[in-house]
Amino acid sequence: MASAAAREDGEALAGAELRRVVIALVAGWAVPGLGHVVIGRFRRGLIFAAIILICFSLGLLHDGRLSLRDREQPFLSTLQVVANAGVGIPDVLARWSVYGEMVYALPRDASFPAYEARSTILRHRARSSLSLYGTAYLWTAGLMNLLLLFDVWDLGLRRRD
Amino acid sequence: MRSHLLNLLIYATLVSAYFGILVRRTPAQQFRLGAIIWAAMVGGALILAFLMYPFPR
Repeated sequence: MASAAAREDGEALAGAELRRVVIALVAGWAVPGLGHVVIGRFRRGLIFAAIILICFSLGLLHDGRLSLRDREQPFLSTLQVVANAGVGIPDVLARWSVYGEMVYALPRDASFPAYEARSTILRHRARSSLSLYGTAYLWTAGLMNLLLLFDVWDLGLRRRD
Repeated sequence: MRSHLLNLLIYATLVSAYFGILVRRTPAQQFRLGAIIWAAMVGGALILAFLMYPFPR
């Protein structure tokens, strides 16, 4: 009886811990560093947030590409969008600021009015002499934040200290 | 910021700090790994730059 109750307690604890880690993962994707804060690693979260947000800000200041999925280059353009979107809410805000809406793809039909508007903005930023640097900063920020989610997972489940 | 070198230095600093803190536990180990990554990135880029110097585009 006692061992069954202990096992149930243990399972309930593991379930609660798993829920907390999943919440931390979502929070960590949405706001860099927040995942660590949710699992109680406040200082570590702040340091990573600072690194990633500085990198992201430098990307925007250098006219980095906020990539859009293009049907003509579906694989590469999708990878670019994933790298951009890895940084979470800051990427959403940046897209609102640059494109005027939250867009992640060029319209399917080139005759669609938004196609020309979005591709013009994209081309304009890509033509900037700074865009090469900016794009590297933006993609690095997104990929660093995605990689950080593995750290949140490991720390949250106490697989490492 | 149009300086390629300055961007290289800032980029290497951010990436090396990130990986140093992510991978190692103690501050001393983090600093050591960060310094190694930073030196490899900056040194590697400068060596490549010198190797490519005879071949301007």
